[in-house]
Amino acid sequence: MTTTKATIATSGLPIEGSDRRREQYKRFFRRFVLLTLVSSLVPLLLVGWGINVHYTRFARERLTEKFNREVDNHHRAIELFFKEHSSKLQLMARTHSKEYLSHPGNLNKVFELINHDHPTLTDLGLIDHTGRHLAYVGPYDLMDKNYADAFWFQQVLKKGIFISDMFLGFRREPHFIMAVTSSENGEPWILRATINTETFRALVENVRIGKSGEVYLLNTEGIYQTTPRFGGAIMEVAPLPLLAEHQGTDLRFVTQDYPGRSSTSSRRIVCSVWLKEPRWLLVVTQSYDEAFNAVNHANFAVLVFLLISALTILIVAVLVTRHMLTMIRRRDRESDQLNQQLMQTSKLASIGELSAGVAHEINNPLAIISTERQILLDCAKQTGQMEVSFQEQFNDSMSQIDIQIQRCKRITHNLLRFSRRTQSVMETVHLNAFILEVVDLMEREARASGIKFVTTLEPELPVMISDPSQLQQLFLNLITNAIDAHDGKPYGRVEIATTGTADGQGVRLSISDTGCGISAEHMEKIFDPFFTTKPVGKGTGLGLSICFSIIQRLGGRIDVHSEPGQGTRFDIELPLHPPAEMMQYN
Amino acid sequence: MNGSKILLVDDEEIFTRNMAKLLTTRGYKVTAVNSGDAAIRALEAQPVDVIVLDLKMPGLDGLSTLKEIQKLGLFTQTLMLTGHGSIDSALEAMKLGAYDYLTKPCEIDELVAKIEGAWKKKDSSLKDDMQGKSRTAGEGPKSVFEVFPAKKR
Repeated sequence: MTTTKATIATSGLPIEGSDRRREQYKRFFRRFVLLTLVSSLVPLLLVGWGINVHYTRFARERLTEKFNREVDNHHRAIELFFKEHSSKLQLMARTHSKEYLSHPGNLNKVFELINHDHPTLTDLGLIDHTGRHLAYVGPYDLMDKNYADAFWFQQVLKKGIFISDMFLGFRREPHFIMAVTSSENGEPWILRATINTETFRALVENVRIGKSGEVYLLNTEGIYQTTPRFGGAIMEVAPLPLLAEHQGTDLRFVTQDYPGRSSTSSRRIVCSVWLKEPRWLLVVTQSYDEAFNAVNHANFAVLVFLLISALTILIVAVLVTRHMLTMIRRRDRESDQLNQQLMQTSKLASIGELSAGVAHEINNPLAIISTERQILLDCAKQTGQMEVSFQEQFNDSMSQIDIQIQRCKRITHNLLRFSRRTQSVMETVHLNAFILEVVDLMEREARASGIKFVTTLEPELPVMISDPSQLQQLFLNLITNAIDAHDGKPYGRVEIATTGTADGQGVRLSISDTGCGISAEHMEKIFDPFFTTKPVGKGTGLGLSICFSIIQRLGGRIDVHSEPGQGTRFDIELPLHPPAEMMQYN
Repeated sequence: MNGSKILLVDDEEIFTRNMAKLLTTRGYKVTAVNSGDAAIRALEAQPVDVIVLDLKMPGLDGLSTLKEIQKLGLFTQTLMLTGHGSIDSALEAMKLGAYDYLTKPCEIDELVAKIEGAWKKKDSSLKDDMQGKSRTAGEGPKSVFEVFPAKKR
């Protein structure tokens, strides 16, 4: 046996969410969440983007400023180094005679004097106008070397002072020289010093800018004059294309792979400035990522904040939408119930009008049939003797005609009762006493069917104002149905219970039976007029329609719960005071 | 009472014809008409004891006909016939002075019983009237003899 539990609203029609409605809800959910996200995230992202752009620009300006300052400082330091040492050499050349300096002891004095504070010179030599060494102080054996063909020799004679690029020379190691001229008796002589490469390189290379920063020098041919911190070595050709001559500081962002660089990023900030003499390019460079680390951190924080905000918005949007959707669903359900109730009411009203017309029109021919029957009976009486078999058949037919007329009359009677808008007579009704009267009335019929009435009535039930005749009709119909539901199922029970409603504004009545129950497919139709499952001739299918109509008129509601094979329960709620329009009838 | 004059008013011609036949068989003098107007004309021509008047008729309906009849001021009783749908109208008719109402389809015996009741009512009110118990000058229905003096003579 299948157990179906069906619950029905007052309208008698179950409320079901159709697939189309479910799809609509889903679409609404998606759209609303999307709209909320767009309307919230777009301004948020705009603000985030604005902050990012503004902060990045600000940070970049600050960084550029810092780099320029850094380069400027180094530039000054190196220029000062060259100026200091060239001045020292010039001073020595101008304040000492060639003869004095040509004594190795004297030249050594001068050498030590210059190197007194820092060992900035590797060696010092005095060279005459033919390129020959007159004196030499230093670790190398260069006395027999002639520099007449050296690249710097002609330059220094021409300019009076010369600082060379790094070169290997006779000693076969990178170094550079600084030479100044002086003259005696029209013969020029040269004081030439080799700058201590280590001291000079320490001046440049020991500068630390972050983890990825480096400082180096390039000559006009793009050859390293110092060893860069990462990759490359002194005297090697730098991988970066040499920048053209420019005035002041040049800052640019270069994206290029540095062979052998440990840094993963190839994007670097390169800031450079040309020295006056020698024409070397001072380059200060740092990884873009490191330089912009703080900015990147700030941007990352903004990104995290945006992400958290977006997630929060998403969660809020989903929750709010879900809540709204629940409310809309509830409203829709209520609206559906109301609509179905209205539909049922209007259906009943139109069927009612139709029924009234049909019933009235049928009553007239019925009246004629009834009179014709009566005339025939009169004629038969007057005629007197008839053949026995004809007499029997005649009597049977007349009796059957009467039975059928009465049957039709009962149908039209019910139809009219269903549709009738009679004047209601409002009286105070003690529902419990009223129910007991109806139960008394029905008890004999119930007993004949083997059914027992059980009443559970709340003793303190409030007195209500209602129409006793309509109430009687309502209870009679429901109790009759409850008894009929036990057809073929003896020893059944019909329970009637009353209670007050929770708000104290009405009474609740339930009539339950242990009968055959109502199947799910019938549940939708039970309040429809002319729907009956009773055998032909036993029910008109108007009982529950009348009940529904009466309950509506009295301002109440009816629910039905049924389990096929187990029984049915009708729950009815009626207000203590009927609706205003009912009172107007009174 | 046998010999009472009955006026049957119903738009169903077969119904009035059959009813007339049945009532005639039972000793009544029956006039059958099929509209409210015809009923007024028939009453103007000849008064009756009891009128059996259908409520729902085309043209002048039962209630309007009743009002018109009352304007004639006859000593007569009216039984309303209704197709049951118009019980409200039947009750309204009773408020207007109709004796009782019957629902269609009705048994002839039931109708006869009601006609008898109506006749008795009419008879007693006529007697009252003649004894001057319930009538003051210028009020209430006039005697049949006053309304139709020539015919009574």
